Amino acid sequence: MNTIDEFLQLVRDGLGLPVTAEDAERGLDEIPGWDSVHLLWLLTSLEQRTGRSISMPDVLEASSLGQIYAAAMK
Amino acid sequence: MTVATVDPTDGTAGTAGTAGAADAHAELTALQRAGRLVAEYPRVERLLGALSGEQLLSAGRLLARLSPDEVAARHPAVPVVGLAVTGHGTLGELVPALTGELARHGMVARTRVADFDSYVFDLCDPGSDLYAARPDLVLCVLDPEVVFDEVPVPWGPADVERVFEEKTRLLVRAVAEFTGVGHGTLVRNTLPLQRRHTAQLVDHASRARLGAIWREGNARLLRLAEGNPAVVVLDLDPILAEGTPACDARMNVYAKAHLSRELLAGYAREVGHLARHLAGRTKKCLALDLDGTVWGGVLGDDGPQGIEVAESYRGEAYRAFQRVAKQIGSQGVLLAAVSKNDVEPVREVLRDHPMMTLREGDFVRVTANWRPKHDNLKDLAQTLNLGVDSFVFADDSPYECGLVGRELPQVAVVRLDGDPALHVARLLHDGWFDVCRLTAEDRKRAATYADELVRADFLQSFDSLADYLRELDVRVRLARVGAQDAARVAQLTQRTNQFNLTTVRLQQADVQAMADDPERLALAVHAGDRFGENGLVGAVLGRWDGGALHLENFVLSCRVFSRGIELACMASVLRYAKAAGATAVLGGYRPTAKNTAVKDFYPRCGFTPTGPGAAPDAGPGAGSGTAADGGGTTLFRHDLAEIVAVPEHVHLTESL
Repeated sequence: MNTIDEFLQLVRDGLGLPVTAEDAERGLDEIPGWDSVHLLWLLTSLEQRTGRSISMPDVLEASSLGQIYAAAMK
Repeated sequence: MTVATVDPTDGTAGTAGTAGAADAHAELTALQRAGRLVAEYPRVERLLGALSGEQLLSAGRLLARLSPDEVAARHPAVPVVGLAVTGHGTLGELVPALTGELARHGMVARTRVADFDSYVFDLCDPGSDLYAARPDLVLCVLDPEVVFDEVPVPWGPADVERVFEEKTRLLVRAVAEFTGVGHGTLVRNTLPLQRRHTAQLVDHASRARLGAIWREGNARLLRLAEGNPAVVVLDLDPILAEGTPACDARMNVYAKAHLSRELLAGYAREVGHLARHLAGRTKKCLALDLDGTVWGGVLGDDGPQGIEVAESYRGEAYRAFQRVAKQIGSQGVLLAAVSKNDVEPVREVLRDHPMMTLREGDFVRVTANWRPKHDNLKDLAQTLNLGVDSFVFADDSPYECGLVGRELPQVAVVRLDGDPALHVARLLHDGWFDVCRLTAEDRKRAATYADELVRADFLQSFDSLADYLRELDVRVRLARVGAQDAARVAQLTQRTNQFNLTTVRLQQADVQAMADDPERLALAVHAGDRFGENGLVGAVLGRWDGGALHLENFVLSCRVFSRGIELACMASVLRYAKAAGATAVLGGYRPTAKNTAVKDFYPRCGFTPTGPGAAPDAGPGAGSGTAADGGGTTLFRHDLAEIVAVPEHVHLTESL
């Protein structure tokens, strides 16, 4: 996982949400089909892919996909 | 044979191994990217058969985005199962797990997750949204924090005891409310006690006391299902005991998800089989390969003395597997052997080998020949008068598993491998034969079917069916459904797919309610013949409406139809209606994928079609069951002028 594009592809394939680069900075509640439970899956998937532990509070506090990606890359 | 390389939880059902799973997952992802998951939904069932664990969850996550209504509209044969998820804590992870499991069984889940922690309100208020949605299954998922959230700090075992008892009282009330509403099945679970709870007590005496209190609490929860046919309690301990973590510490604290997603996935697997059962899709026959499956070695090569069935390392593993197969066969599941062998040596082993656990009499049929196994399975299905989709096939040969999976995708294939110590876990990994409760008929089923095969052989020795039927000495008793019959009648509506005129699945409580209602008619059909008693084999259900008798359904076990029993019953019902002053008898036929054989049943009994009618309430497992709803109901009317005669070979006893 090196770029936000790879991250967005993960969201598209893993959750079936057709997100684009513009969606990365949108509020999560503006993304059609978004559910807070997706955060938990994203966190686990990102940890599996990066092999690193990610702060769950940071991810839970993120308000956009871009912020989730940033939390994962910290 | 192959070498054991995968764990028993992986790739158990389905025709593919790990490589097949990767292919299947890739194909699903491709379908998702192309936006074709709805259009290809029936293919999804096959692809999911190869998946387990994370990949199945991941597929479920994609499928959870689909609209169940769109899937149902596009594929009317796919049953829709209404699920309501309520409980304590965050349960969102259960949705993809349930979606994947139901899709794996060829069904589509319509899942509604209740508000966070609203289970008390949902279940105790008959006017709640949960009840308004009339779900087939209500999953009330509870975790240990239901209790620990409410104990004070510091706490001792007595505090836990008090809170657990309070919660149990609440749950008993919820069950009573649920039963009062009278629709669907309520699923509860035991609460897993973990070390993060027990280790908070530093003395062993208190820990032991806590352990005892907790298990007494769980035992009370398990007993909630006793005597209540609408309640199922899933015991989570056996899932945990096989290595599934109960909880993820971070999810527990940060997300209030108190049960791990692995545990929720295991829970969903059990629910999938339960939904399958309620939709009338329970598997009925376990077909076993012999060489390498039931015994070690190759009979044709090693001879009866050379095969391993006991008293050696591998022999003991096969003995353990045979004991489990025999155990399953004792509970209404038909066992059959399907082996590439000559038949005589196989019979010799089953009859005479001193160390065998399984014997010839444990199998309803032993098929040993050199034909392809899928052909043998098709013949077996025909002989037993079952659909091929009622079969589970277990074999250690990847070739045979692959071929059966390809030729007969409706068959659940349990792929065993080279290490017989893993056979039992693989066979039991999926609850293909799970039912809510067993009836006396279940326990006798294998013997009854064995009688059927004698009858079938007997049939071939007669020139005409009429001669056969005269010799058969068929006895039919038609009587009001009594309290002792309700469970079996409900089961018939759930299991019977062929002779089922409207495929309305009923629960025991529904049948009991019909039997108790003077405006309704609920008749049980008992049958027997010179070979023995068949038991309660059918039911006629109806209601009185404005002077006419409406027949809502007529079901008859596939073991006994085409013997005049159905005609005798209808003649009796028509005579009864006429004597009671009915103006007419009305009935409907609702076509499904499996009941075309009875399409003309009403006309054959002297009814005339009056045109299409409204579909009846499909009941639990709507769709219903295998009720590939192939169109609307056709209505028929009988004016009671001329009533069909009871076939002369049938001895009919009526107590209406």
